[in-house]
Amino acid sequence: MRRLGLMGMVCGLFLFFIPGTGQAQDAIKIGFFAPITGPAAADGMSAKHAVELGLKEVNDGGGIRGKKVELIIYDDRLNPQEAVAIANKLIERDKVVGVVSGSYSGPTRVTAPIFQKAGMPMVAGYAVHPDVTWDPTQKKPNDFIFRNGYLGEVEGAAAAEFAVKNLKAKRISVISMDNDFGRAISAGFAERAEKLGSAILTKQMYKFPGEKDFRPFLTRIKEGNPEVIFAAGYYNEAASIVRQAKELGITAQILGEEGFDSPKFLEIAGPAAEGVIIATNLDRDDPRPVVQNFLANYRKAYNEDADMVGASSYDAFMILVDAIKKAGTDPKAIQKALLETKDYNGLTGKISRFVQGEVVKPVQIQVVKGGKFRRLAVIDNPEVITPPTK
Amino acid sequence: MWFDDCSLLTGFNMLWQQLANGIAIGSVYALISLGLTMVYGILRILHVAHAGIYALGAYVGWFSFRLVGDFWVSLLFGMAGAAVAGYLVERFLYSPLLHLPRIAPLIASIGLFIALEEAFRIVAGPHTLTYNARIGLGDLSIGSFKLTETQILILLVTVVILIVLWTFLTRTRIGLAMRACAMDAETTSSFGVNVGRIIAINFILGSAMAGAAGVLIGVYDNQVWPTMGSIPAYKALAIVVLGGLGNIPGTVVASIVVGLSETFFIGVLAIPFPRDAVAFIAMILVLMFRPYGLLGKA
Repeated sequence: MRRLGLMGMVCGLFLFFIPGTGQAQDAIKIGFFAPITGPAAADGMSAKHAVELGLKEVNDGGGIRGKKVELIIYDDRLNPQEAVAIANKLIERDKVVGVVSGSYSGPTRVTAPIFQKAGMPMVAGYAVHPDVTWDPTQKKPNDFIFRNGYLGEVEGAAAAEFAVKNLKAKRISVISMDNDFGRAISAGFAERAEKLGSAILTKQMYKFPGEKDFRPFLTRIKEGNPEVIFAAGYYNEAASIVRQAKELGITAQILGEEGFDSPKFLEIAGPAAEGVIIATNLDRDDPRPVVQNFLANYRKAYNEDADMVGASSYDAFMILVDAIKKAGTDPKAIQKALLETKDYNGLTGKISRFVQGEVVKPVQIQVVKGGKFRRLAVIDNPEVITPPTK
Repeated sequence: MWFDDCSLLTGFNMLWQQLANGIAIGSVYALISLGLTMVYGILRILHVAHAGIYALGAYVGWFSFRLVGDFWVSLLFGMAGAAVAGYLVERFLYSPLLHLPRIAPLIASIGLFIALEEAFRIVAGPHTLTYNARIGLGDLSIGSFKLTETQILILLVTVVILIVLWTFLTRTRIGLAMRACAMDAETTSSFGVNVGRIIAINFILGSAMAGAAGVLIGVYDNQVWPTMGSIPAYKALAIVVLGGLGNIPGTVVASIVVGLSETFFIGVLAIPFPRDAVAFIAMILVLMFRPYGLLGKA
């Protein structure tokens, strides 16, 4: 008897710890992970909030084919080891039908081969590393993995397109963080800018994470007197670069990327952020209801403005939901539906299709005006926005 | 490759600007490292948690700035907060451990440092806080050379603190006792000097300077964050070795040398070289060729 009681207790505990087992058996489970705590907590929370908003919309609208959607949320703490464990849990224990990554390249990249092997579709919100959708060991695409954000090269090329064609910049300096994303985006930028006939005066890399004092870099840039400075970094570094450039009396136009696209950037940079232009994945001034409703609902729910990370994660979730609506809950069928995506009306732009898992959609150019990101231009030149195939 | 051509190297203004950048960051290194070298000089222990005191100074300064709204008041509070913390660390952490082998206070120090970082994260959150203080000094521009307001602030505060420290050490009886203790605590004690009190004063002064450095970096970078002490924790050790352990003028010189070399490596030679490696390469060279430090005597 005693033994049975103990077993019962253990079983009870077990049930308690399995998320959602107590709920409706027939809910459709979707996995989600993001760096909810740790160094990228601001982005992780943003992704989580946005996806939860999407979940509420789907379930309030009757779910998928009459079934509720259940979101299994994990915190990867920006730690790849953690992400591997999460991927295995999602497949084996939670038995989800598809996964949304609301995380950075590091954690997303290590989960991609696991999901690929298990035949589990994953849509990554904004992770930029090429190896998310590509298997470098077998030299073939991970055909179960899809990406809603741009490849670093594509976003960099789009920023260069804007710098040279719209800003008419002939003399450009590049400063970038030394990580996968920084290297990819600044290489894409430099290649396109030079192809269009502009000169790259200086290319500098700073240590990431850790660098806080950009004055030595910026002083060197100032000496070359460029018209545009292309800067790659996340919101902390971005804010420091922008502030310190202003302090040093640098008047060149600063052009950033999606790493700048955070309320934290605007807060830390303060008035120095005014006029900064970025290439990103969200157009706040897009009149389509999908955009304006999301921005309004997000503000209402969290009392904070939505950012690129949130919007991209929301999109990733909705793209997956859309595929499940079309194809049902069989992972293979979901993958097929994702491969057939055509002219999807996404929050972060109209997705024409996926090429080897990479999204094809216009790149947004935004400018900080009155302490907010506003629309400045859209880069839709197919030569620039079509991801390179391997 | 990330080397660019060096045709932009010639600018004269740029050299002055880089000099200002280098001296500014070097001054902050000096304020952090002085406390460390003074503690080593008197107790012969490596006070790793000193970098935690530096971050604490930044947090206290930030918090009091939020309360009072005046930068100079927040600087004083940051220094005072760090000084109190330094005193408590000496009294309750090191003092009971001093009779043990030197590894014991070192381990305690590392433990305290990690605990402090976690405490900042739990109390003030993992996010970066902005220390957006109006200082009221203004910039100094000569042609295209510009000494920014925060650089002027750093130079001013550092020079004042160094003059006060030097006067204190050379012109007062307590300062004399401190220097005597650093040479030989036991003999000094036999002359009727209360060594315990001297050690406490030593910690209070060193920690107040670290607190000032924390506040200065807070406004210089406009950022205060939980792990802001982690790089200074080891860089200051390298600087202290470079200056000759326990040598106060040597530490100031070493700090400026490290600040300037970092800046010139990045900004003039444009070598894509990790900034934080400079201090360590210098330290290794010094240990190989001048183990008594830059200004020390063989």
